[in-house]
Amino acid sequence: MNASEQQKLADLIARARTGNLEAWGDLYREFAAPIFRFCRRSLPAREDAEDATTEIFMKVREKLGQYDSSRPFQAWLYKVAANHCWDMLRRRRIRQDLETEGVEEMPLEHPDPSQLDQLLEQRSSQDMREALAKLPSRSRMALVLRYYTEMSYDEIAESLGLRRNFVGVVLLRARHQLREALAGQANSQGAAAGRGQ
Amino acid sequence: MSHIDNSGRGRNEGHVDEMSCLQYLEGLLERPRALEFSAHTEQCSDCRALLRALERESKLLSFALREQEEPVPARLLAGPARERTPWGWIVSFGLAASGAYWVWTSIIDPWQAQLAQAGFGGSDLLSTLFIQSALWKGWDTMWTMVQALAVISLGLVGFLLLRRTLRRWNTIALMMTVIVAALALPLGVSAIECHKANTNYTLPADQEVKDDLLVSGQTVRIDGTVDGDLFIFGQNLTVNGHVTGDVISGGSMLAINGTVDGNVRAFVGVLNIHGKVGKNVMEFGGTMLADSQSEIGWGVILYTGDVTLEGRIGRGITGRMGHASLDGFVGGDVSFKVNDSFDVGPHAQLLGKVQYTGPNQPAVAAGAKLINPIDVNIEAKTSNPDYIFSGMSLWHKLLFWGAAFIFGLVLLFIAPGFFDETIQTADRFGVSLGVGALVMIATPVLACIACFTVVGLGVGISTALLYLIALYGSKVFFAAWLGRGIFNWGRSKAGNAGPSEQQSFRTVTASGAMVGHLALGLVIIYAIRMVPYVGFWLAILAVVWGFGAMSITLFNRMRHGAVAI
Repeated sequence: MNASEQQKLADLIARARTGNLEAWGDLYREFAAPIFRFCRRSLPAREDAEDATTEIFMKVREKLGQYDSSRPFQAWLYKVAANHCWDMLRRRRIRQDLETEGVEEMPLEHPDPSQLDQLLEQRSSQDMREALAKLPSRSRMALVLRYYTEMSYDEIAESLGLRRNFVGVVLLRARHQLREALAGQANSQGAAAGRGQ
Repeated sequence: MSHIDNSGRGRNEGHVDEMSCLQYLEGLLERPRALEFSAHTEQCSDCRALLRALERESKLLSFALREQEEPVPARLLAGPARERTPWGWIVSFGLAASGAYWVWTSIIDPWQAQLAQAGFGGSDLLSTLFIQSALWKGWDTMWTMVQALAVISLGLVGFLLLRRTLRRWNTIALMMTVIVAALALPLGVSAIECHKANTNYTLPADQEVKDDLLVSGQTVRIDGTVDGDLFIFGQNLTVNGHVTGDVISGGSMLAINGTVDGNVRAFVGVLNIHGKVGKNVMEFGGTMLADSQSEIGWGVILYTGDVTLEGRIGRGITGRMGHASLDGFVGGDVSFKVNDSFDVGPHAQLLGKVQYTGPNQPAVAAGAKLINPIDVNIEAKTSNPDYIFSGMSLWHKLLFWGAAFIFGLVLLFIAPGFFDETIQTADRFGVSLGVGALVMIATPVLACIACFTVVGLGVGISTALLYLIALYGSKVFFAAWLGRGIFNWGRSKAGNAGPSEQQSFRTVTASGAMVGHLALGLVIIYAIRMVPYVGFWLAILAVVWGFGAMSITLFNRMRHGAVAI
C-alpha cells in the first residue's frame, strides 16, 4: 500500500469512527474479501466463514474507537479476526485436538532435503489447501496467521494464548503434519492411479 | 536457539537442525548465531539444500493460502445495508402479495368451491385431490393450509433463531427434518397385504382380506371382500366384490362392477362403472363410462377424453374433457370445460346449475329435465399448450413475475452462496441441461416408488413437494444467470470493463447487482413465454437448464461438505 492509499485509508477510518455510514460501507467493502478468505482458511466450513466474517465486522464497528491509528489497520483487523475465529473454534471444542499435547519438546531434526523436495514436487496449491484442511485446528490456525496474515511470533502467541517461545515449535509441528498430509495424498493418488491401470 | 550438532548422532550429524533453519529464514536468529549459521551453510551443501527446500515450502504455503480461487459470497460483498426506503422491496412484495391473493381468489378458491359442489368438500384442496382418506387417514384433519403454513412458519422462526449457533446448512437440514417429522408424525403404521402376480391375480368371492390390499398384475380380479383400501395396478382390473375403503388404481382398464364404500381414484385408460361407489370418483385418463346401473354417492371429478355418465350421481360433476355426454341423474352442480362437444340425453335429470364452456352449443335431447338453464360460454378450441396463460392479462403476468421475483429474493437471502454457485454452474450449459433432464425425470419416479413402498410414503410425498418447489426455483436461477449474461454483455459492448475486470465480475457479483440480474432475467423469460409455441418450449428449456445447475451445485456441496477450499 503506497502513501496516498494509506492516507486515503486513514481518512476513511477517521470518517467511519465518527459514524459516517458511507465511510463504514466503503471500509467494509475494502476488507470483506480478505477477511472472508482468512476465515475460510481458518475455519472448517464455508458457512462458518460467512457467519464469522459478518460477526467480525460487527465487532470491528463496535471497537473501531479503540483502534490505535499509529499501527497498521490491517494488522489490527486480522488480530480481531484471529481472536474471533479462535474463540469460535474453542466454543465448539474443535481446538481440543493437540491442546493437551506438550509443545515444550523442541524437535531438533535435520530432515532429508531431497525427500522434502520430492514431496513438494508437483504439489499444487489445491493439494496444499486440502492438506491444510486436514490439520488440527491449532496447527492450521498457526500457519494461517504466519503465512496469510504475516503476523509476528509475538502476535501469534497472543492470539493463540501460547508462550512466545513455543510459537516456533507449534509452527514446525504444523509443517510436519502438513507434510504427512501431503504424503498421504500422494500415496492415495498413486494407489488410485495404480487401480486405474 | 541455533543448534549445530557435532555429536555425530543420527541425521543431525554436523548439520543445522530444522528449527534453526526456519528461524534463520524468518530473520529471527540473533546476529551472532545468524552469522554462525551463515558460515556453516556456505560450506555445507546439505544444509543449503534444506534451507532452499524450507523456503520453497514457505512460498508454496503462502501462495496456497492467498490464492483467490473461490468467489466471495455476494451477500458479504454487498456490504452493510444503507438506511434508505427499500422501494424496490416494497413494490415487489406488494406485487407478490397481490399475485398470491389473485391466484387464491381467482383460481384456487373458485375451483375449491366447484369441488365442494361436486362432493369433495369438507377439507382443503391438497387433501381433496391427493390424499384425503385414501392414502393416509390423518391428512384430512392435519393438512389444512393454515396448519401447513403454521408448521412452515415455525420452521422459519426456528431457522432464524438457530442460525446464530449452528452452521447454516445444518440449520436448514434440522428445520427440514423437523417439518417433515411434524407432517409425518400422525402417520400410523398400518398393515397392508401385498401381492405381485406376473400374470393374473384373483381374490375369490368367498375370501375376505381384513387389511388394505395392494395388488399388481396383468389381470387383477377382486371377487371377494377387502375390508380396507384397495390399491390395484395392471392392464385389466376388475372389482366385482366389495371394498369397504377406497380404490386407488393405475393401468389400462378398470371396471367397478361391485361395491366400493369409499372413493375411487383412477389413473387409467378406460374406467367403466357398473356398480356402486359410496363417495367420490376421480378419473385422470382416456375414457369414462358410468352406465345406467351405476351409482355414485357423492361427486365426480374428471380430466379425461370422452365421458359418458348414464347412472345416478348424488352430488355434482366438475372437470375438463374432450367430449361429455350426460344421460342420468345428477344431484348437484355441473361445471364442464369441454374441448369438443357436450350432449344431454333424454334420460338426464340435472338438479343443480350447469356451467358449460366449449367450442360448440350443447345438444340437449327433448326428454331431458334440467332445473336450471345451461350457462353456456362459447370458447374457441385451443391447441396451444400454454393455455393456462391464454386468458391472462398483462397485469396478471406482472403479478406472476412479482411472485417469481420474491421467490428468488428469498432464495438469495437464505442461501446467497448457493445462489451464486448455481448461477456460475449454469455457465456449463451442456452438463446443466443433461443433468437437469436426468434429475427431472428420475426424481418423480423415485418419489412414486417411495410412495408405493408404503413405509416411505412420508418421504415420497415430501420429495414430491420439494421437487415441485425446486422446479419453480429452477426458473429463478436461470433468470439470474440470463440477466447476468446480458448485463455483462452490455458492459463489454459499452467498453466499460476490460477483460480482467469482466473475469473478476463473474466471480465477484454483489447481491444488489444479482437482484437486478434476477429481475431482468425474469422479465425476459415472461416476455419469451408470450411467444406462441416457441415460448413454451424455451421456458421448458430454461427450467431444465436451471434445474440441472441447481442439482450439480447441490451435489457438489454435499460431496465437498466441510472440506476447506
